[in-house]
Amino acid sequence: MADALVLKDVKKIYGDREAVKGISFSVREGEIFGLIGPNGAGKTTTLRMICTLLNITEGSISVCGHDVMKESEEVRKIISYLPEDSGAYKDLTGRQYIRFMAAFFADGEKYHQMVEKGIRMSNLGDRIDSKVSTYSKGMMRRLLIARAMMPEPKLAVMDEITSGLDVMNAYEIREIVRDIAKNGVTALISSHNMFEVESLCSRVAMINHGNIVEHGTPADLKRKYDANNLEEVFVRAVKK
Amino acid sequence: MNHLVNITKKELKELLTPGSIVSIVVVMVLLMSVGTVIGGEVEESSAAADIGVVYDAGAGIDPAASYAYLDTPAEIKLLIQDAYAYLYGTDGGTAASFIHYLDVASGDDDGIIAAMESKGLSYVISVPDAITSNIAGIKTMSGAEQTRIDTYFIFKDEGLFGSASDSVGTSLVGAMNSILSKKIADMAISGDSSYILQPLTWGGDGNHTSVNGTVYSGITPYALSGSMMSQSLMVPIVVMIVILMVGSVVISSMGSEKENKTLETLLTMPIRRTTIISGKLLAAAIVGLVYGVAYMIGMMFYMTGLTVGSTDVNLSDYGLSLGMLDWVILMAILFLAIFSALGICMILGAFTKNYKMAQQMTMPISFLAIIPMFVFMFMSWSALPALGKALMFLIPFSHPMMAMNNLMLGDMSVILGGMAYLLIFDAITIFITVKIYNSDILITGLEQTKFMRKLNKLFNMKKEDHENS
Ligand SMILES: Nc1ncnc2c1ncn2[C@@H]1O[C@H](COP(=O)(O)OP(=O)(O)O)[C@@H](O)[C@H]1O
Ligand SMILES: [Mg+2]
Repeated sequence: MADALVLKDVKKIYGDREAVKGISFSVREGEIFGLIGPNGAGKTTTLRMICTLLNITEGSISVCGHDVMKESEEVRKIISYLPEDSGAYKDLTGRQYIRFMAAFFADGEKYHQMVEKGIRMSNLGDRIDSKVSTYSKGMMRRLLIARAMMPEPKLAVMDEITSGLDVMNAYEIREIVRDIAKNGVTALISSHNMFEVESLCSRVAMINHGNIVEHGTPADLKRKYDANNLEEVFVRAVKK
Repeated sequence: MNHLVNITKKELKELLTPGSIVSIVVVMVLLMSVGTVIGGEVEESSAAADIGVVYDAGAGIDPAASYAYLDTPAEIKLLIQDAYAYLYGTDGGTAASFIHYLDVASGDDDGIIAAMESKGLSYVISVPDAITSNIAGIKTMSGAEQTRIDTYFIFKDEGLFGSASDSVGTSLVGAMNSILSKKIADMAISGDSSYILQPLTWGGDGNHTSVNGTVYSGITPYALSGSMMSQSLMVPIVVMIVILMVGSVVISSMGSEKENKTLETLLTMPIRRTTIISGKLLAAAIVGLVYGVAYMIGMMFYMTGLTVGSTDVNLSDYGLSLGMLDWVILMAILFLAIFSALGICMILGAFTKNYKMAQQMTMPISFLAIIPMFVFMFMSWSALPALGKALMFLIPFSHPMMAMNNLMLGDMSVILGGMAYLLIFDAITIFITVKIYNSDILITGLEQTKFMRKLNKLFNMKKEDHENS
């Protein structure tokens, strides 16, 4: 299978702090890839570089063969980014928000289909016509995931999708992502919750202080470190 | 759909809410009605008014009275009536109906005030009985004496225009004085004394003023600048309002993008950054235009209300009007200035973190708009000292505020220099804006730039020094 995303020796320096210190990994088409690590490890920084939001200090990133820095417009056409804790315009209704976002990707008949799809995926029922400001956290996250998925991106990049959600909502969101992956979307998700990632991802990369400390399938990693779960793998890999 | 239209439409949807539209309309109606009310009051205070007179209350007016010897009360009453008729341009009968004789002794202050209050009069003149004998003294030049006419007012706080009346009481006495002196002089020379009393004439068509090199008769610079003021007073105010509106719209739009955490998503949409910038700017410009037109209409009513009472000078009679080209230039300058406001705010907006910070960030723009507004409401460009000129020239928002007067006076160096300055200013702000919106600053904020870090370090070092010593 071809690689949907390739990072080569990627560095990010904020001012004089090196947040990402030359990482490399690749994500294959159709898989859910997890980038896991503690808070401050450099996950968000990495995802923002992939999504053309931050300049890459050194190294290169390509999405489906397009260089992120040189062809950022091409890259934006084929990715969807769901930032951590992101929100929607609070004066709009859910439907208006979906329409506003869909208009960036399609027009004519395709636009209407995309809007329909977004509304269906958000599963908000008649609350789709309520102002976004009245939504609960879980509803908001469903709306945003629907927004991210409706253009059928080649690569979906999602940062801490379940952070701040209660158990029920987090479970529901994970189910949605699993569904999406079944439809052949490539996804890169980040999380500091290693259990969540283990149940969702076919492969993971572990990041700590801006370095990749391990990567592979959850099963291989557990075997390699003789661990019961990814948390143990992480602790042992870091100590090594 | 066009992406620019998409963004602009969404921004407008957020900006032109029913609430904001209601507030525009309310302000407009408020301005209009305040203008009409003030206009009404100005008009009222120069219209014929009731006046009380303390003099020979019992006798009544003799319709057959005429100026024979100027030594009977009937003649004095005729004098008062003629003076009133002259002052307000009414006929004798109307004048008589406004003059109320009070049955009080002259010199009895409390009694006079009490009578005024019971009759609801704002002023009263009190003529002593000695006036007839004093006039007789003047005629014979034996023991000639002046007669003091006392005037009584009741102070009420009626605002600037409401209490405009103390001149009315005294001008009535002034008119009496003129008529009386002419009558006495007529008698003395047994003929028309007009030429003795007024051998010179001046004013009116005797005034000659050079405007932009052409000499016009019958006008003074004072009348011209008064009229220009009332016309161009509006421009700085409206420009200020539009700049403030547009600026706060742009900055708070960025502030709310950050507060609601929508900016990152928007920036990953498959469109150019410049489209996002333009969409926001376009929406702000449209809102600014809506506000500008609404306030302009309101202000126009407000100003016409204010100028009702004063003499109307038609500026275009003196070559002081704007031609087609002048309007085009005025609009171009206004556009360039608004654009510079948009640019500055877009740059400031990039650094806001939330809505509250956005509102604080409108402060510098407000200052830059309010200072030239006050300056050009009360002063013109040519009246400014050199330093003032330099400062005003540097503030981009000054240029549309003074453009109207400078265009009328043909002061093209300031106009053209201003346009060139605005063009350069705008080009630089666009350049900086595009640079910022293509950099990390939008996402990471200012603290993370090298410059700010160095600044912070320097600051912390100083603090440590302080603590160590
Ligand atoms: N805007 C920024 N400026 C400077 N340092 C930053 C900035 N954002 C993040 N960092 C630093 O970079 C490192 C990685 O942060 P981040 O990518 O947000 O980690 P994670 O998402 O894994 O929690 C942290 O040490 C953080 O303090
Ligand atoms: Mg993070």
